[in-house]
Amino acid sequence: MSATWHGSARVTIDLDICHSRVASNLKRLVAALAPYHPRPQGFPPELPFVWDETTLRNATILTRQTDLGEIDLLAEVAGIGDWEEVKAQSIVVDAFERRISTLDLPALIAAKRAAGREKDLAAIPELESILESEKQ
Amino acid sequence: MRELLELTPEQLKIAEDRLRNPAPGSRIEAAKKYGVSLDLLIEQLRLTPAQRGEKMEGASKAVEATLGIARRRR
Repeated sequence: MSATWHGSARVTIDLDICHSRVASNLKRLVAALAPYHPRPQGFPPELPFVWDETTLRNATILTRQTDLGEIDLLAEVAGIGDWEEVKAQSIVVDAFERRISTLDLPALIAAKRAAGREKDLAAIPELESILESEKQ
Repeated sequence: MRELLELTPEQLKIAEDRLRNPAPGSRIEAAKKYGVSLDLLIEQLRLTPAQRGEKMEGASKAVEATLGIARRRR
């Protein structure tokens, strides 16, 4: 969604959320997502799966299929760092009746470059042209 | 924390000029050669960040619905 807020026209069907690993936050995150039945991608629905703070705490990146769609939970963002470092390079967007923090455009580009997946690298030219078009 | 705001009319005009007339060697020119639609980008930049999110939500739902149909047909 970060690219979308900044003006990207690319369609995305998954959501990346960077979270703090502080215990109280993990507890809140687990509770917030529990009603939407997070489970590993491709996991047979009849197999039991534990969704708790331990699951979150032990992973740097966790991809979960939920009733809302695919959500990636990141304790660290490639090229940026942990939640505190991500927060330091973030801005706020007023949308969906919420105030949502998202990476600023230079940080988003750095993160995409560091992630290095084909889909991340493919997004960079558009983002760089947005950055260049808006330069003061 | 800074806020992501919609572009002012002056900022939008500058952005549109740069996107319609990419400078040689610029990232905008490179993006155009890569296949990025600069016209679509201009459309997006005319929206507020919230409007961009709402538009994306509609597009994502359409993609999900199409994927659902494709999966059911397999």
